Amino acid sequence: MWSLGPLAFGAPWLLAALIALPALWWLLRATPPAPRRVRFPALRLLMGLKQEDETPARTPWWLLLLRFTIAALLIVGLARPLLNPGSPLSGTGPLLLIVDDGWAAARDWTARSRALDMLLDHAEQENRKVALVTTAPHVGANPADPQPFTDAVTIRQRVKALAPEPWPVDRRAVLERLEKMTPPDGVETWWLADSFDDGNAAALAERLARFGPLTVAEDSPARRPRLMLAPSVDAGGLMVRVRRFATDGEETIMVRGTAADGRLLTREPLRFEPDQADGSKLLALPPEVRNQVERIEIEGEASAGATALLDERWRRRVVGVAALRSEGRSMPLLGEAYYLEKALAPYSEVRVGPIDALLAQPPSMLIMPDSGAVPENEVRALENWMKAGGVLVRFAGAHLAQGGDELVPVALRRGGRALGGAMSWAQPARLAPFPETSPFTGLTVPADVTVDRQVLAQPGPDLEGKTWARLADGTPLVTGERRGNGWLVLFHVTANPDWSNLAISGLFVEMLQRLVALGAGSAGEEGAGALPPLTLLDGFGRLGPPRPGTRPIPGRDFLQARVSPETPPGLYGTASARRALNLAGSVGELSLLPALPAGAAHHLLAEDGEVDLQPWLLTLALVLAIVDALVSLTLRGYLAFRVPSSMRRAAILILLGGSAVFTLPMGQGSAQSLSDPTAAALRATSQMRLAYVRTGNAEVDYTSRTGLQGLRKALQDRTSVELGDSLEVDIARDELAFFPILYWPLGRAPLTLTPDTISRVYAYIRNGGMILFDTQNQGGIGASTPDASVPGLQRFLSRLNLAPLVPIPADHVLARSFYLLSEFPGRWNAGTVYVEAKGDGKDDEAVSSIILGGNDWAAAWAVGDQGQPLFPVVPGGERQREMAYRFGVNVVMYALTGNYKSDQVHLRFILERLGQ
Amino acid sequence: MADHRALQYRAEHLAGAFPPILVAAQRVAATVLQGVHGRRRVGMGETFWQFRPYEPGDPVQRIDWRQSAKRERAFIRQTEWEAAQTVWLWRDSSRSMDYRSHLSQTEKGERATLLALALCALLLRGGEHVAFAGDPRKFTGRNALERAAAAFARIVERGNDGVPPQIPLPRHARIVLIGDFLAPLKETERAVRALAARGVTGHLLQVLDPAEESLPFQGRTLFEGLENDGALLVRRTENLRAAYAARMRTHRDALAALARAAGWTLAAHHTDHPAEAALLPLYVALAERPGI
Repeated sequence: MWSLGPLAFGAPWLLAALIALPALWWLLRATPPAPRRVRFPALRLLMGLKQEDETPARTPWWLLLLRFTIAALLIVGLARPLLNPGSPLSGTGPLLLIVDDGWAAARDWTARSRALDMLLDHAEQENRKVALVTTAPHVGANPADPQPFTDAVTIRQRVKALAPEPWPVDRRAVLERLEKMTPPDGVETWWLADSFDDGNAAALAERLARFGPLTVAEDSPARRPRLMLAPSVDAGGLMVRVRRFATDGEETIMVRGTAADGRLLTREPLRFEPDQADGSKLLALPPEVRNQVERIEIEGEASAGATALLDERWRRRVVGVAALRSEGRSMPLLGEAYYLEKALAPYSEVRVGPIDALLAQPPSMLIMPDSGAVPENEVRALENWMKAGGVLVRFAGAHLAQGGDELVPVALRRGGRALGGAMSWAQPARLAPFPETSPFTGLTVPADVTVDRQVLAQPGPDLEGKTWARLADGTPLVTGERRGNGWLVLFHVTANPDWSNLAISGLFVEMLQRLVALGAGSAGEEGAGALPPLTLLDGFGRLGPPRPGTRPIPGRDFLQARVSPETPPGLYGTASARRALNLAGSVGELSLLPALPAGAAHHLLAEDGEVDLQPWLLTLALVLAIVDALVSLTLRGYLAFRVPSSMRRAAILILLGGSAVFTLPMGQGSAQSLSDPTAAALRATSQMRLAYVRTGNAEVDYTSRTGLQGLRKALQDRTSVELGDSLEVDIARDELAFFPILYWPLGRAPLTLTPDTISRVYAYIRNGGMILFDTQNQGGIGASTPDASVPGLQRFLSRLNLAPLVPIPADHVLARSFYLLSEFPGRWNAGTVYVEAKGDGKDDEAVSSIILGGNDWAAAWAVGDQGQPLFPVVPGGERQREMAYRFGVNVVMYALTGNYKSDQVHLRFILERLGQ
Repeated sequence: MADHRALQYRAEHLAGAFPPILVAAQRVAATVLQGVHGRRRVGMGETFWQFRPYEPGDPVQRIDWRQSAKRERAFIRQTEWEAAQTVWLWRDSSRSMDYRSHLSQTEKGERATLLALALCALLLRGGEHVAFAGDPRKFTGRNALERAAAAFARIVERGNDGVPPQIPLPRHARIVLIGDFLAPLKETERAVRALAARGVTGHLLQVLDPAEESLPFQGRTLFEGLENDGALLVRRTENLRAAYAARMRTHRDALAALARAAGWTLAAHHTDHPAEAALLPLYVALAERPGI
């Protein structure tokens, strides 16, 4: 060690190499960079020209300086320069290290470990024995603690493995252990304390001072730890409280709220006045964001104490929406569950499922859209759940109006009533302000919320008390009743806009929020089972798997649980029901270390320790060497800063060519087999295509293929529908969702479909698909119903949950979606064509998923390669074929545009065309 | 056998390469050609020039009977003199012509070939005979261009030393020399003198790369010749630029003086300029001095 002011060198003899620098300088000057080579025809003219610059070509002075610097940096760096060297150790005897490794040491752990390193460095250099004692308790005892004095290298291994624990230190235990120890002579003690008095600090310091010279190192005031107390839920967000040493000055810290996946959700400053111990700050968060906050921490302070974990108690309520078997199949966007989910999702966690599945993990509120009678066992389960504090919210509707069950707060009249509408004098009713006793009181009633239909309550003496919302004419709209600890609430309208536009008003959302607040929190209901550790914090506030030695906490004792080595702070329970144990609950007031005993030295853990400059210098040398290489290349002309345009063009061509090579196989869809699902999907979706169902009968399949080919041509010629080639699908295997319409020739063979296939078809039509069934048997002559002629068809159709099939009504959209048609012939013109019956007035939007007929349309459409018809039409005439094409165009239009043409807007033009 | 194959391959390679240059040559020629040039005087030819009253001594066969029948006097029909001349073309095909700097799109040699062929196309259309120095054949007629091009390609392929040839030309023939004329001035001078001594009229077209004009290089540069004429290390090229430009000017002035002394013309052309720019003055120079 050779020192030079604040600078010392670990290997000073290397500095001798600096003498060699002038030699290097001479060498560098003598060898200029290699010239750039240029071919030049007019060399003869250049030859013999007197070169005016007679000085030999030289490395430019600045490049020389650069290289000189690199060499000097290398030499000085290798000489291992140290900044601020110095030995803090005074004596020559053994060294006793007491290290506080509780949570409070985490904030400045780097300074602590640096100080330890430094002490061990010097102990090693001075060949002194060392013993290490840590003060934080561990699972079990600390058997080998205190260890006998040993050499610094061994201790260094232990120090490397040392990390702060996420619980407080236990100095009393250390004191007891030290009492049993007889220190060797001349021992020097260093105590790396964590600035926080647990009541035993004074005693410990006293004891250590009796051993010999004592130095107490503690955090500098600016780096003292702070404690994040458990936040509380407030109306506007989360109230965060942070505790610190009361004597500290004015300070502003940043508080961060993060989600489970680490996203930063909020970051707010928290300000401490001088001498203020507890600071608080409201993290103003909308509920949907607040509910995602999993963790609150102090920015820049990685410590278990500066971290608070949030569990369900801080989170939103879980609302279950019962998915009922009778829920509409065709229009998921009009279903009641959809409106409920949309209204609830921002503020609550919504689970949708059957009632029994929902009750398995009881939600705080359960909503049942309109349904028929609830099975007896479910009624019982719901009753029990309500008694325990659940809130059951039901909605009325057609089913309930037809006669409900006992699961209603008030007796209902059958049938309900309709207000407004074409045949009624009554206007749709508006809402009255909410009664004082209602949970909705205080909500503003918008003037535009109206009710068209509702179910009516039987008048009774207690009706008034159970009414939570009523219409302007006084009839109840929402009724509620206490059931055990819970509530049973009935909306007398539907949860979708069928009966009232309440469901699409902001009021609906607010009402549901009020109802959610009625329910008890779903947490705290786990019962008395033990909560096993799930993920636990380490001393730096990082979540990790439980360490050995941790144990579960009994559920009923959880609120009283204190942080200990067996129960570190973290999350307990299961992934779905978690409870957070925070360190703050186990730490009391923070107070500073007491005054030190006389003779003890005081040391601040500061930044300005010994700094090794070697890595910095060597890095700088490397960077400069790279700069030098670049400069040299540029000087020699090897490095062009402009890329020639020809190279750019070539690069683009290569890229294009490459991508073309890769895309070519994709474009050749016809070469791909449909068995490759990706290729099939690409092919089916690259263009809109018609598809027919493969029957396995070669003749029928040929007719279908050529028929759809003919139809495609007709569509191309007459309409703006541009279709790709038709595809054949295997109904049991291929993905159907790509096709707007399927042509399904049934033939005479019995229809045998597996349940799996039926559910595929069901899913297809439910998601908006349309199927044109063609029995090809002239409308089933001799059969009473269209589908009786194909064995198995009846059963198949009954599984599809269709509306009743009716002959196409004269005013059906199918008769006017493109052409105005009065008949729907194919090859035959005998049979009736059936579609799904439309529902009642409100259900006008429905598009029939099924068109069923037996006119063998494909045969009428079928064309050969030259475009000639392949089959004669019966009874005949090109007019019939033309009508068949028109029907096909209408069907495709119907499939693509739905009931667009039924819009009354077009009626006038249609009437004009009809000449009426 | 192998030789034959290799030769055939090379011929095909050349033939394959020539159509584009032929097309380019035709295009360049078309922009310059203003029509078949007559001699604008009475002489042998097919084109009508004038009627002249018969004078005794004129051959009776020349009397234009139709014209004479209209008038009282007899007229003889005179045609324009359309003397076909032979123009020899020569291109420097030394290796120094295979040069292209970053300032230009074409090699000097390529441009020289294009100019030669375009000139050839023009001359053939004008009814002149064209011959190439180093090939005994003469080409004439519009359809001869393809054959001429192939012959020219063969001559270029053979290469030469960049000095104008001293070939026996008929007196008063005309020759067009295209090259960079960077060879030592004495050699060029000897060749030109020899030709001029036979009464041959010539035109020198110096084709240079712009880099050879401006020496656009920087810093320490090792220049290497293209004809095994050694290398030169220049430490600061930018300092040499003015001296080089002066020397280039001197060289060109000497060439011009040489041409003037022989009654020839000298034109300079840079490969970064369009070929038409060089062809037009050359063609005009050929056309304007008829009958020498």
